[in-house]
Amino acid sequence: MTRDQRDDAALEALFDAGRDGPAVTDDFMARLAADMENALPQPDLPTPVKPPRRNWLAGVFAASGLSGAALAGVWIGFAMPQTLEFTTETEAGFELSYLLPGADLGSVFDE
Amino acid sequence: MGMERKISPAALADEAPDEALLVAFANGDGRAGRDLLARLAPMLFGYATRVLGERSEAEDVVQETMMRLWKIAPDWRQGEAKVSTWAYRVAANLCTDRLRRRKTRAASPIDAVAEPEADLMSAVEVMTEKDRAEALATALHALPERQRQAVVLRHLEGFSNPEIARIMDIGVEAVESLTARGKRGLKAALSGRKEELGYGDD
Repeated sequence: MTRDQRDDAALEALFDAGRDGPAVTDDFMARLAADMENALPQPDLPTPVKPPRRNWLAGVFAASGLSGAALAGVWIGFAMPQTLEFTTETEAGFELSYLLPGADLGSVFDE
Repeated sequence: MGMERKISPAALADEAPDEALLVAFANGDGRAGRDLLARLAPMLFGYATRVLGERSEAEDVVQETMMRLWKIAPDWRQGEAKVSTWAYRVAANLCTDRLRRRKTRAASPIDAVAEPEADLMSAVEVMTEKDRAEALATALHALPERQRQAVVLRHLEGFSNPEIARIMDIGVEAVESLTARGKRGLKAALSGRKEELGYGDD
């Protein structure tokens, strides 16, 4: 074995001995872990979807469970009970022709 | 009936590539961060200690390297570089900065080398493992900085020459030159052949 080969072999023996390297301490690893936790990005939480904002009147209608037409009926019934009140007794109130003009045309033709 | 192979989550973490752990960390997975830390920190610490020769400075380098890794994690471009190569590169640059700031140590590195031995093999044969590791560490510090980094990466950390080229940001031929001169320098330092120690870095 030449001098160079002996030197190479000796160097390899030294590399083998040095390969394990110095160990990190628990204290140092704990410090690194704390750094990591501080740098940890916050996961993206799903943002709650807000329902579209409706105006308050639409809300009232929806809450009542009534359609527009039905609500109109309620309104008419509430606001004009006197106007719609009629009787079949013509002498006591008004005749049908007041409400339905032309209902009495038959009497004109009869003349 | 086939046998079902159960893999524990810990085993899965062991098998996950560094890059997968880094991406998981960027998505808020602290456990992935701890796993990656457990892989990289001891290796980087071993490297930095060998290059710098001081534990406290090596700890600073590792801490700074890991902080930089956590910081770039959300912007990590997958498939472009190995995480370990990136980390060694950062650590190597931080070591270089620190070594260049040291003025006293560069004056006469050969003074730090152990007793000269006429025949290196004869000396090594009678050393304990601990003595061998210490002799190597002392001799490494007799080398110029770049040679020392290349030798440590090649012969102690086990990187290939192309990987070292990426870490040190030089060509493969330059790596080969640095490691060859570094080995010659080590042998010379350990044998007390001061005249063979070249102090030119590149």
